[in-house]
Amino acid sequence: MLEIQDAFTRALLERDRPIPPGLTCSNGLRPERRFAIHRDNVVAGLIATLASRFPATQRIVGAPFFVVLARAFIDRHPPRSPVLLEYGKDLPSFVEAFEPARDLPYLADVIRLEAARGRAYHAADMPPLDPQTLAVLPQERLPFIRFDFHPATSMIRSSHPIVTIWAMNADGSKPKPVEPWLAEDAMVSRPTLNVRVHRLPSGGGTFLSLLAAGSPLGDAVEAALSESPNFNLSTNLAFMLGAGVTTAIR
Amino acid sequence: MNKVPAATLAASVTAALALLSGQAAADGASKEKCYGIALKGQNDCAAGAGTTCAGTATVDYQANSWKLVPAGTCVTIVTPKGHGSLNKGDAPA
Repeated sequence: MLEIQDAFTRALLERDRPIPPGLTCSNGLRPERRFAIHRDNVVAGLIATLASRFPATQRIVGAPFFVVLARAFIDRHPPRSPVLLEYGKDLPSFVEAFEPARDLPYLADVIRLEAARGRAYHAADMPPLDPQTLAVLPQERLPFIRFDFHPATSMIRSSHPIVTIWAMNADGSKPKPVEPWLAEDAMVSRPTLNVRVHRLPSGGGTFLSLLAAGSPLGDAVEAALSESPNFNLSTNLAFMLGAGVTTAIR
Repeated sequence: MNKVPAATLAASVTAALALLSGQAAADGASKEKCYGIALKGQNDCAAGAGTTCAGTATVDYQANSWKLVPAGTCVTIVTPKGHGSLNKGDAPA
């Protein structure tokens, strides 16, 4: 039984393979054609899954290109699990090496951003940190506190304006020329039930990735300051607390 | 590199909290700044009715796929060919 299923799956996902042995058709017509239809339905379903996970990406490249991209991806990375919620997490690295998309070097990061939104959407529920917790903390403890990050939080650091590009290609927005072309670090959070995408303030990428890695506040501030002279701690803290990026301090 | 004094941190925390409550007051209960928060249901693997023909048609497409160029709504986006790289130096990251 396992063998039959295995052969069936492989034949489904690899277009050049012959149909599984022993396959017959109740009305006597050629089973190859019937199987080909099923095979195409499976791929069409997977393409639709990817399109619904990566709507901005599809809009950026256009539907015909997206279909070809998705098909090439499915060929190389067929689903390993019946649960498709995470399907497509290898898409960014695939796109980086995908020759026809070479002229869109920002595309992989936009896909990372969309994937992060999907993860945030399905992440565990947790109340974000109450900002007042910091207010009542003794001053001398501040440099040493560490933050627990919300399970829905993720960061995408990019050398392209990915938040701008994503926002312009999200539902109902109108794309226009991006000027100036600046690097943007994105953070995805879900403080309550809504997934949000933020453009990090200056130095925020360094600051928050250090905090997320478990560095104490004092160290993260120093690193951010030395990397980005425009780093503003109040702005970044206000962002962090307001966006519900963290859940607790230690 | 100088250590950032605890007092400076404390001042920033106070400022951040003030900023936050200011935002909350300005926004009222209505909303805060965010980009497209709606996420479509994404687990519906739509292999249902009507996909048969769509599926079969795209097989032919595959043959010339490598000649395809991304041609979506983003044609208006400036691609960073000799552009983004020039500005990269200004990047805050």
